[in-house]
Amino acid sequence: MHSPRTRRVEPALAFAALAIVALLLNIPAPAHASSPVAAVSTQPGVSSSGYSVTWNGVDVATAGSASSAFSVDLSQTASLWYNWSTGVANPVDISDARLQMFYLGFAVSTRDQVLTNPTAQPSGSISLSWTPVSVAYLLEGVYRLTASFLAPNGTTMWSENFYIRGTAPLGVAAVLPIVLLVIIVYEVYGLARSGRYAALGRKVGESPPATPPSTSTAPPPSTSEAAEPSAPPTDSAGGPAPPTGGGS
Amino acid sequence: MSAGSHGAGCGVVLGIVLVIFLQQVGYLDLSDLAPTVEYLVIGAVAGGVLGALIGWALGRSYLARHAADEASRQ
Repeated sequence: MHSPRTRRVEPALAFAALAIVALLLNIPAPAHASSPVAAVSTQPGVSSSGYSVTWNGVDVATAGSASSAFSVDLSQTASLWYNWSTGVANPVDISDARLQMFYLGFAVSTRDQVLTNPTAQPSGSISLSWTPVSVAYLLEGVYRLTASFLAPNGTTMWSENFYIRGTAPLGVAAVLPIVLLVIIVYEVYGLARSGRYAALGRKVGESPPATPPSTSTAPPPSTSEAAEPSAPPTDSAGGPAPPTGGGS
Repeated sequence: MSAGSHGAGCGVVLGIVLVIFLQQVGYLDLSDLAPTVEYLVIGAVAGGVLGALIGWALGRSYLARHAADEASRQ
């Protein structure tokens, strides 16, 4: 048995659950291990730490907070350059450049660029392009990305977090914001109508306790009347006598 | 069901949905799990309390208006 509120809230919760499930199922682009490339020995704009990543030519260190996020059209391809220059005395063995996108603490998208024959080099660059086309019409908003260099044994040599502000191709024409707006409008309408439930609650509160009307209106049975109907018919009551046999 | 509980139910859903919507329009960062859970819980509690108050107030005004209507008919 469902109360009216439960029946009304359930569609909204179902919408919200559906939106979240669609988000979690559609955002992840599977880890693309694209065709291996060779490291380039140029390293423009390497930071003092020896590692740097640029997003369309801009160092991702400049987008280290949500307020300074890159404004990105989610349908456009982003070009990233992973550069390192650790010096001749300290060459590093980089085998993988990785880009991950996080939502609710989970890496919902991972892009890898794997090197063919990783060898210890004092400097180098890896190009990586990323097109979040699978999420372009689904969502927008601020997301944290992590760019990292990986060693052949899988350990992270260096990583940096930065933020992007994804915009839908037609402004707000993404699926998730529209679904959320519909839910908001529906719930505001439900909240505005909640006053009517006061009358409903009063009627329920004023109604007498649930008792059968027949028992409440019938007079209380007396002891003699109560005994008479329940008494089984006997022979002395004047009824037809059962046939007796054998007396011919 | 009372108007207050109905408003609280609407408010809880509104608080949760508003948090996700604010992330979509770029005002919140929900990349990490812990602050996201905090935002959602705060949104649900604040929305529930506010919704209950609004529903209770709307219920009182509805009952007052309804009683006035009944009195004017008689």
